[in-house]
Amino acid sequence: MKGHLTKGQLIQYQFKLVSDSYLEEIAGHLQACAECRRHLEQLRRKFAALDLLREDVQASQELISQVIEQAAEGPHVKRGAKYLEAVQTGFRKSAWIASAAAVFLVGVLFLAAYLSRHAPERPTDLAEREIAPGIAMEKKAPIIGEPGLLVAKPSEPGGYLAGLGGSVAHEAVMSEDAPFAPASAIELVTLPRRDNVQITIYNSADLTLARERRNLTLKKGWNWLQFMWANTLIDPTSLSLEPLQEADKIDVQQLVFPARLRELGRWLIRSEVSGRVPFEITYFTSGLSWRAFYMGTLSGDEKTMRLDGFVRVGNNSGEDYENAQTRLIVGKVHLLDQIAELAKRPYPYGMPMPLGGLRGYGAFGGETGAAVTNGEAEAGLGYLWGDIGGLRRREIRKEGLSEYFLYTIEGTETIPDKWGKRLLSFEAEDIAVKSLYKYDEERWSEQTIRFVSFSNDKKHNLGDTPIPNGTVKIYSQADEQGYLSYVGGTDIKYIPVDEEVELNLGPARLVSVEPILMDFKTDNYVFDGKKNVAGWDEVRTWKIEVTNTRTLPIEIEITRGFGTACWTLQLEDKDVSYEKYDATHARFKLTLEPRGKRAFEYTVTTYHGTREEVMAKR
Amino acid sequence: MGYDERLYPQIEQVASMDNTDESLIAAYCQGDKTAFGEIVRRYADSMLGYLTRMSRDREEAQDLFQETFKRVHEKAHTFGGGTFKNWLFAIATNVAIDGLRRRKRLRLVSLNQPVDCPGSDEEFGTVVAADNRCNPYDQAIKAEQAEQVKQAIELLPDRQRATLILAYYEQLSYQQVAEALGCSIGTVRTQMFRALRKLADRLPDIGQGVE
Repeated sequence: MKGHLTKGQLIQYQFKLVSDSYLEEIAGHLQACAECRRHLEQLRRKFAALDLLREDVQASQELISQVIEQAAEGPHVKRGAKYLEAVQTGFRKSAWIASAAAVFLVGVLFLAAYLSRHAPERPTDLAEREIAPGIAMEKKAPIIGEPGLLVAKPSEPGGYLAGLGGSVAHEAVMSEDAPFAPASAIELVTLPRRDNVQITIYNSADLTLARERRNLTLKKGWNWLQFMWANTLIDPTSLSLEPLQEADKIDVQQLVFPARLRELGRWLIRSEVSGRVPFEITYFTSGLSWRAFYMGTLSGDEKTMRLDGFVRVGNNSGEDYENAQTRLIVGKVHLLDQIAELAKRPYPYGMPMPLGGLRGYGAFGGETGAAVTNGEAEAGLGYLWGDIGGLRRREIRKEGLSEYFLYTIEGTETIPDKWGKRLLSFEAEDIAVKSLYKYDEERWSEQTIRFVSFSNDKKHNLGDTPIPNGTVKIYSQADEQGYLSYVGGTDIKYIPVDEEVELNLGPARLVSVEPILMDFKTDNYVFDGKKNVAGWDEVRTWKIEVTNTRTLPIEIEITRGFGTACWTLQLEDKDVSYEKYDATHARFKLTLEPRGKRAFEYTVTTYHGTREEVMAKR
Repeated sequence: MGYDERLYPQIEQVASMDNTDESLIAAYCQGDKTAFGEIVRRYADSMLGYLTRMSRDREEAQDLFQETFKRVHEKAHTFGGGTFKNWLFAIATNVAIDGLRRRKRLRLVSLNQPVDCPGSDEEFGTVVAADNRCNPYDQAIKAEQAEQVKQAIELLPDRQRATLILAYYEQLSYQQVAEALGCSIGTVRTQMFRALRKLADRLPDIGQGVE
């Protein structure tokens, strides 16, 4: 075997795709050639990626039972496979039946053509009455009503179907009267794919504003644009269409929802120009959501932390968003109706009247189901509507919008329906952090809790933007190879700029605190006139043992409660300090060396009954 | 009153017949309806796994699963010996390829469905994510890599994909794959080789992270 083995030969060898003798020949070469062995190893590593999809799929009992029942019942198909039956078995079984059907169909078409030429014209209303509901469009406008389009749609999750009607045949003399939609001779022009799409997701409500840009080819005169939202959660009442160029020569006159046709609307556009014109289509949809989460990695000495912020965007809207610029809003939006409920309505009629917020924004001015109150619209949505050129931005932008905060994710993302996607929001290195352990029996029983704190400010390499609420997981460098160990996690609330945040990382097993009651006595009894006890002192001596089994020094705060506001405390150990935390609690602070253990004692005297009054007077 | 000892040999005989797929399908053809249930249970997981990989969509795989066993039910009398498993996978492959063709046909009429947009399949990513919860970096990287592998397999022509899945994931021998696909073993090797050549260029290197 001359020269080195080719990639093809290595594949044939690895997967035994050639004869045994040839395999032996290749094996002999591999034994002698280190470079080919290395290439083979690389190839094996490459194909090892296939094992990432080696999952164990388990059929549910329900599915198995259905199949068995199906067989027991006979040839019927109960679930899902109806279409298969029609397409596959129906046409496959008998070719001659299909041939006969085709001949019959051709005959019927000829007959229909003949009759249509020779039949006397009938009034339109009569024709309308005689055509069965649901197929009227097919008779009047065959292309829009093409059964293939309508039949295919339900099997395509997401993706509304839109077609651009060509001009009504009045090009030479443009009629001022708008044509009646169903009666128009509509030409179907395929709607081009989106040039740009921008989605703005509000996390406080099930609300997303989608804005997409498409180049539509208009003809001079009246044009129809058809928009379908079947199987999506688009709010049809929020649909808006605006030309981005030639706005003075293009007039989007009305959006009609034809009777008997569900989940589609048609825009009537009067154009004085012909050719390609960029348009922006905007609408509200539900089903998109986002949440923030963070990953903090503590340095080896736990004095600094790297913080990565992520955003997970989920799409259950029924629509695929391809190369979408994604913007996220932090803040509360007040909705009159839930968009999802609106989208489920078969006909978008009878919507509530809008409040002032969105007035003056095209189709929103008429009827909207997502009105925003209290001037919030001007702060939030008004901003969004006004920024048409915003699609060009690619850098991370975080902007304050009154009570809102707007996050723009860098670049564009494709978020198909039913998918979730994690996007990087920010990265910050070397954030100075303070680790602190806390012990407070009244709050956490006998556990020591670990906290990490830092500030969202410039000094801590943060502070460009508030940090939205989300989950934080903290890891620490476990060794020099960079392996991480999980330290703890918590939920954080919205952190404004310049605000300090303290993350509760949960119980710390390597730091323990053990309070031991060393002595207890009562003293200074006071008796009233009837020789009953009216007041006394309780004196307790506590020994607190603190153990640090970590390899790092630690700071710890120990909070002790006394159950009364009248107490005095004596602390002998000068290395330990304490402060009166509140009326009934004292807080001790101390530092422990790595793998250190220390104990300190204090004596607390609490005063009861009349002794309480005496001490208060002092 | 003692037992009727003749019962025991009869039970033994039925049990031993139940051990093979071929005897089950024969029993089913003779009217034993429970035999069909046993066949379905025996192959349910591997069949659903195969169809999920072929269709990339759990929902669709379930439909194809039903269609496959429906055809087994209808065509059981045509099973003419040989290995039942190969016959079953042959039916499943035909059903899956028909299903994929149908889906492609339907896609053509959609006016703005992104053609290159992956379907709604989250099983693989979910499984990978669940495997490695301890480290989010690894988790994210594995999910990305699994997605790349899935897309690489998706791009293969139907026959090549079927060959690869049967031989690699279902671990059928090339001879068995040939029987399942109704072609020669040489064709199977050729299809497999072409599939692997393409994958060699498209698969991620799992030794390295994903950017």
